[in-house]
Amino acid sequence: MHEAGIALNLIEAVQQRLASDPGARVAAIHVRVGELAGVSTDALDFAFECLSASTPLAGARLVFDLVPLTLLCGACGKTSPVEDLVFRCGACGSERTRIASGRELEVRTLELVEETEVAHARD
Amino acid sequence: MHEIDVKAGLLAPNDAVARENRHLLAEHGLYAVNLMSAPGSGKTSLLERVLPLLAERHRVGVIEGDIVGSADKERLDRFGGPVHQINTGAACHLDARMVHHVLHHLAEDGCEVAVIENVGNLVCPAEFDLGEDDAVMLLSVTEGHDKPKKYPLMFRRADLVIVNKVDLLAHTDFSFQAAVAAVRDVHPGVAILSTSCRTGEGIEEVVAWLERRIEFKRAAPLAAPAGHAR
Repeated sequence: MHEAGIALNLIEAVQQRLASDPGARVAAIHVRVGELAGVSTDALDFAFECLSASTPLAGARLVFDLVPLTLLCGACGKTSPVEDLVFRCGACGSERTRIASGRELEVRTLELVEETEVAHARD
Repeated sequence: MHEIDVKAGLLAPNDAVARENRHLLAEHGLYAVNLMSAPGSGKTSLLERVLPLLAERHRVGVIEGDIVGSADKERLDRFGGPVHQINTGAACHLDARMVHHVLHHLAEDGCEVAVIENVGNLVCPAEFDLGEDDAVMLLSVTEGHDKPKKYPLMFRRADLVIVNKVDLLAHTDFSFQAAVAAVRDVHPGVAILSTSCRTGEGIEEVVAWLERRIEFKRAAPLAAPAGHAR
């Protein structure tokens, strides 16, 4: 349960990105989360909702892009998914692999509400 | 509606400090090991056995991470080297920032080895690189042999897995072979040792493993980032 700290990092990263555009309103924040990132998306969602309430990001949605766990084989060069948490190459069975994807934990993009849409919403 | 790119890692603030720690350790020739396990697996008991042996040859400092209290620090104070308590308050793990100034202190104090006892937890500490040279994790017989598949990230992260409390094997349904197989599924090639802190079985092997790593550090001072899990 360290999602609160991660939510704070997320809020900080987004606000830094928007520093040059203080009027921007964020509708959604796209977050890539690897299968083996060690993060609960429900807990992160909840932490973000609570911790962003007093910031300009209040009301923004988190959209999670889940990344499957895959290995790149150092023996045969193929990429294969990890099944049943067995970290061996799915193609040749070699143990000489490294994680190719599935450890991601990053903010990728923001969906901003256009000023005209904001004005329209006020009418 | 339009989209803009951010591309910011959410553990980047911790990873940046971990990098600083790694350089600090390299610069001072200080070897740091991060000891992790579930609560009650025997981290402090293992250190009570290992620290006096390590301290025969090296100046060793300890960083003791606990949510509250200093009961473990009091146990470890007996070995005679510096023991620094970090209370995390509510946090379930140590992070790179919490250990940074203590590592600095140990380096200034002339320590060659820093042993970091993390907060007992199989989940959160795995996510937080401290900048350590090696991660050692304990799996005790009373926890069950299925744990590697339940907490894969922690077992991926480890450079050494120690099966502890083997004196209790006869009294439990713990299968040593199944535990080793599960560890090897999650992390093929990882070193595995077994210990009993009650009988002293396996302690010398743990010390010998650490001695080899300390020697390796002398030859190659800058540790790779906590890479296995990444």
